[in-house]
Amino acid sequence: MTTDADAERGPTRHYVVDEGDLDEGERVLVEVEGREIGVFNVDGELYALANHCAHMGGPVCEGGLMGYFTADDDGDLRYERDGEILACPWHGWEFDVETGAHIAGSKYRLPTYDVTVEDGEIYVFA
Amino acid sequence: MAAQTAVRSVEDLDTTVVDADFHLTEGIEEIRPYVDGPMRKMLVGASAYSGGVDPYPSSGDLHPSVVTGRTRVFNEEKLETPADVREGMDLLGTDRVSLDPGIQLALGMVHHDQVAAALATAYNEYLLDTFLDEDDDLYGSAVVAPQRPDLAVEEIDDRAGESSVAAVFLPSGGVNPPLGDRRYDPIYEACERADLPLLLHNVAGGAMTSFPIQHQAFGRHMPTHVVAHPMQHMVNLSHMMTTGVPERFPDLRLVFQEAGLGWVPYLLNRLDYEFYGQRQDAPVLERPPSEYVDEQWYFTSQPVEGMDKPGYVAQTIRLMGEDNLMFASDYPHHDFDHADDLLRQLTGEFDREAIEAIFGGTATEVYRFR
Repeated sequence: MTTDADAERGPTRHYVVDEGDLDEGERVLVEVEGREIGVFNVDGELYALANHCAHMGGPVCEGGLMGYFTADDDGDLRYERDGEILACPWHGWEFDVETGAHIAGSKYRLPTYDVTVEDGEIYVFA
Repeated sequence: MAAQTAVRSVEDLDTTVVDADFHLTEGIEEIRPYVDGPMRKMLVGASAYSGGVDPYPSSGDLHPSVVTGRTRVFNEEKLETPADVREGMDLLGTDRVSLDPGIQLALGMVHHDQVAAALATAYNEYLLDTFLDEDDDLYGSAVVAPQRPDLAVEEIDDRAGESSVAAVFLPSGGVNPPLGDRRYDPIYEACERADLPLLLHNVAGGAMTSFPIQHQAFGRHMPTHVVAHPMQHMVNLSHMMTTGVPERFPDLRLVFQEAGLGWVPYLLNRLDYEFYGQRQDAPVLERPPSEYVDEQWYFTSQPVEGMDKPGYVAQTIRLMGEDNLMFASDYPHHDFDHADDLLRQLTGEFDREAIEAIFGGTATEVYRFR
C-alpha cells in the first residue's frame, strides 16, 4: 500500500554503474526494486527506460538502438536519428529513447526514469 | 451468480494450454539433406548451380521490421532443437504445441509439382528426426503439397500412424486452383480417414499475386461477389493509407461503397496494429490509420450482413464507428437493402440523433447537395 509518506519521499536514488563504464552507444540493464531498467548513453546523454515493452512486455531495452524511417514530400524514405530509436526485439515497436514515446503514435509509452551523475557515478531515480 | 476468480495467466487455467500455430524456422538448408528419390538430383544435384537452388518462391515483398533487423525473435534466433521450442513455449506460457513449418509456408507455390511433393516428404522427415522423435511431448503437423494430391494422400497415409503427428498442414497461400476444386477431394478424404484436422495457412505476398488466377478457377459468381467487394476495398484503402493519401489530401472525403460492414473494423484494427509495429512502411502517416478514417472516410451500408443474427449489425456498426456509416440501398440491384429493414436493426440500439445521421445526416454533410 502506498502511504502519504511514501509519496512524499518520491523515487529513490539507485546506483547504476560508474560513469567510465558506460561509453557512448553503450547500455546497461539494472534491477531496481523488482523492475528492470535500461540505462543508455546516447552521444553523451543518459536515458533510463523500463525494460518492459508497453506493447506485450518484451525486453525492449535489449533491442536494437537505431534510426527510423521518415518520408520526404515525394514519399521517398529517409533514415534519421540513427542511434536514438529503441526497437523491441519481439515485434519491432519503436520508441524514442529520450521520451519513451511510441514512434507510431499509439497510446503506448515506455516509462522513463531520471538519471543523474554524481562524483563519476550514475544513479537512476525509481 | 458464482463469483468468477480473476485469472491473470494462462498458466492458472485448468486445461492443457495448446498453441495451435507455432512455427519452426527451417529453410531449404535444413530440408535439402532429407530430400530423397529422383528429386534429390533436382535439388541437391551434382552441379553447384542445382545444389544452390532455392525452390520456394517469394513475391519479393520485404517485411520492414525483419529486414531492418528490428525484431530478433524469428529472424536471428532459429529453432534448431526441441530445447529451442521449449524456450518459446516457456516464454508464452503454453503446455503444448503442434509445430507448423517455416519456409514450407510457400510450398503451395513451388512451381515443380514433383519437387513440391518431395519437399513435403523431406520436411516431415526433418520434423520427426529433429523434433518429434527427440521429444515425446512435442507434436507437429505433417505437410502435404497441394500440387500433387495423389502424393499428398500417400504422405497422409504414411504419417497417420505417427502418434506425434497431430494434424495435416496444407500450405494454402497461392494455391491454384483454389481449394474447392475436386482434385483436392482425395486429400480431404485421407484426412477424414486418418482422423486428422487439415490446417490451411497462407503466406502473404504469394497469396496476393495469385488472386487473379484464382478468380478464373472460381467458375461461379457467389465466391467472387462475396470476396471481391470487401477485398478490393481492403486493397485500395490499405494502399491509399500506406502512401499517405489522407496526409496529401486532408480535405478529400472518401466513400467506400457496397461491401457491407464487418470488413471495416477488422481492416482498421489490423492497419493500426500493423502500423504500431511496421511504421517504416507508412512513414508519411503522422497518426494511426483509423484516426484518418474516423475524420474523413466513409462507408455505405449495403449489403448489410448478419441481419438474421441478433445484435450483430448494431455491434458491428459500433465497432466501425456509426459516424462514418451512410445508409445505401443499391436499388435496383439484385441484393438491394430496404431502409426500414436496417432501421429495425438500429432502433433501440442507437439514439435518434445517431440513427438520423446514418439515414441522411452524414450523407448531407459528405455529398455536395445544393
